[in-house]
Amino acid sequence: MTESTIEQGQSLTKPVVAEQPIMQVNNLAVSFDNGSGPRIQAVDGVRMTVYPRQTLAVVGESGCGKSVTAMSSMQLVPRPPGRFDRGEIRYCMENGKIVNLIELGESEMRQIRGNEIAMIFQEPMTSLNPVYTVGDQIIEAITLHQDVTAKEAMQIAVQAMSDVGIPDPQGRIKAYPHQFSGGMRQRVMIAMALACQPRLLLADEPTTALDVTIQAQILELLKDLKSTRDMAVMLITHDLGVVAENADIVCVMYAGRVVEFANVYDLYAHPMHPYTRGLLASIPTVHTKLDRLTTITEIIDNPEEFKRLPEADQGVTPWWPWHDAPVDLCKRDEPAGDYVLRKVAKDHWVGVWRTQAVKDDESSPPELAFRIADQESH
Amino acid sequence: MAMPERKNDEPESISAIRAPERSRDNPLTRSLAGILGMGVLVVMLIVCLGSLPWTLGSAMDSTGQAIGVPRYDAGSPKSGRLPPSWWVYDEQDIERSIRAIDPDVLERIAKENGVEVEELLDACDGAMLELVEPHWPRYWFGSDMLGRSLGVRLLAGGGISLTIGIAAALISVSIGTLYGAIAAYMGGKIDAVMMRAVDVLYGLPYILLVVLLAVASDAMVDEWVTHNKAKAKWMQQRVVEMQSQDTGEAISRADARVILGEDQRLYNELMAQAVQKYPRRELSAGARTMLDVLTLLVAIGGVSWLTMARVIRGQVLSLKNQQFVEAARAIGSSSTRIFVRHLLPNLVGAIVVYATLAVPQAILQESFLSFLGIGVKPPLPSWGNLAAEGLGELNTYRSHWWLLFFPCLLLGVTLLAMNFVGEGLREAFDPKRQRG
Repeated sequence: MTESTIEQGQSLTKPVVAEQPIMQVNNLAVSFDNGSGPRIQAVDGVRMTVYPRQTLAVVGESGCGKSVTAMSSMQLVPRPPGRFDRGEIRYCMENGKIVNLIELGESEMRQIRGNEIAMIFQEPMTSLNPVYTVGDQIIEAITLHQDVTAKEAMQIAVQAMSDVGIPDPQGRIKAYPHQFSGGMRQRVMIAMALACQPRLLLADEPTTALDVTIQAQILELLKDLKSTRDMAVMLITHDLGVVAENADIVCVMYAGRVVEFANVYDLYAHPMHPYTRGLLASIPTVHTKLDRLTTITEIIDNPEEFKRLPEADQGVTPWWPWHDAPVDLCKRDEPAGDYVLRKVAKDHWVGVWRTQAVKDDESSPPELAFRIADQESH
Repeated sequence: MAMPERKNDEPESISAIRAPERSRDNPLTRSLAGILGMGVLVVMLIVCLGSLPWTLGSAMDSTGQAIGVPRYDAGSPKSGRLPPSWWVYDEQDIERSIRAIDPDVLERIAKENGVEVEELLDACDGAMLELVEPHWPRYWFGSDMLGRSLGVRLLAGGGISLTIGIAAALISVSIGTLYGAIAAYMGGKIDAVMMRAVDVLYGLPYILLVVLLAVASDAMVDEWVTHNKAKAKWMQQRVVEMQSQDTGEAISRADARVILGEDQRLYNELMAQAVQKYPRRELSAGARTMLDVLTLLVAIGGVSWLTMARVIRGQVLSLKNQQFVEAARAIGSSSTRIFVRHLLPNLVGAIVVYATLAVPQAILQESFLSFLGIGVKPPLPSWGNLAAEGLGELNTYRSHWWLLFFPCLLLGVTLLAMNFVGEGLREAFDPKRQRG
């Protein structure tokens, strides 16, 4: 991505007519039982929003709560040991009804899983049942949610396989997972996930286990499907390159909280949280000769980095769990009371300490209906 | 560098993208040994089980009259320990064979040929032998020490052993699979409690469990036949009623028992009524035998599922954390569906292997328990106790080898066939072993 495209993206930002987000996570907290020790707070007050036809990239290091947030929205978090402590995940169903995903019963949830929200996993090697043909597995996903005959289901499955670019779907539908390569298996997983025309796709590191060629193909495929099917995608990844190429909105998480939330152009051009700056600084750049790369620690350990927010002089300091809280901290008497997700600039949210300056801020989920595709068409 | 030479008849390889449809084979006919094993097993089952009505039926005497003794138990010690009829007879065998002939028949032969009975008895070669030879008792598989045909006993024993083996294996496999899989699938406290129960049962000697089961079932059958408990209860109830009619005071059943113990006349009177009220039920010897066998296989199946439960639990524990289970949940499958459709088929390999091991194990346990006098009681044969008897007959002076050899041969062939079938099934259920 060059500077010019970023500039262009920003200049073209236009007010978007108010529309209903497809999913909104508000103040979600999930913790896990840790035997005799204290419960582990995997997710603590996460807020984010996804709009239809939008790709929300959730980035952050391992264990920061990305996957747990995604799993929570399908109630796939094993409970126990997991537990939803508070918060809600509002989801707008196809019929316009708004439900709270973490309070639904098991049978209602089964109607949502696969049908409304689908998920693809990181490991294509183990995500398919080795004793069934891939056709059986796609057909199972179809017959679970659609009232179709076996023959119709077969046709849908063949169509789904050809949609994801599997050559000779008619013949390959009778093959077993071990007869596919990793990339092809991931395509099968995607075909399975898309067979029921879900409106939201949770892609949990869909390309981590694949080589870059296949990765590019799979991501391109997801992009195409998103536009042809009006589907929203929540893309969970470690890879900032993948984010830059595919995401509309980026949500950076750390230690179970959102530290920065902005559209992809703003975030790459003006990262506001020191952690995001650290992440971006640690990417090597072509044509720049360096002895060594900047580490995240170098940036995080520099106190000056924490004084660069717009209202820094009034005491608005980025939240960082390993630092001592600012002296004027006004901790609220509630879980995660020392933290607030503040809109520090237009369409730009940063997690900050609840200091004197922001003590009356009410955290609300960040909302951005921004889409690169809309920009390009204008 | 020398390239490996390609054989002329080998087709040139083509790119994977253009690979033609693979020819698919029938998974059930993939293993030749498996098909052969299945054939042997089926023949064995048909022959042994199909002949049960005949082998358990009443034997006939020489005139064709039923003698009320089951065929497997018919024989006379006079014709005991005769080798198989196609074997080389030595002098002793010939002498015993002649002596085993019915005296009436011997006399008739002597009269027809104008020789003395004594001469016939002493015959050991030549013309005399030819006269008596057609009348010898002949056993294809020899006879045991009581002169019973080993062939008939092998057939009947095979029916019993195979029934017990297969049924006990089925019981143990189904209980074990369900128990282990449920424990692992539920996880947490339920798993812990269920598996500790298995540990406790493991700790008890299994013989103890089998004996307890056998004794309990015996007691139940006895009660069903005699109604002793029901009779006693009814009598005590009568005493209580009579007492409350006579004196108006209510007494307990324990008091009633004391009264009955003291008043012999009252006891006899009530007993006579009770016998009228609860007539003794009849249970044929055959039904009793069936119940014994049933107890035995329930007992064996009921204690041998423990290993199975542990094996399956381990398998399910590793399977349920595989991502395809989560993927199945993510497309909206219910827990039951995941269990039945996604976990069980992945367990087939382990189940089949264990089942093929469980059948021989059950057959061997049955023979061991029969030796202790629980379950298959003599004279009812089973391959296990036939082999045990045969071992006792083995000695350096006269080997009586057939008594040990044939039961062991049949047992061995069956178990081997069973293993081949297991191997074949495992291959059939494993998609990765498909041949192109």
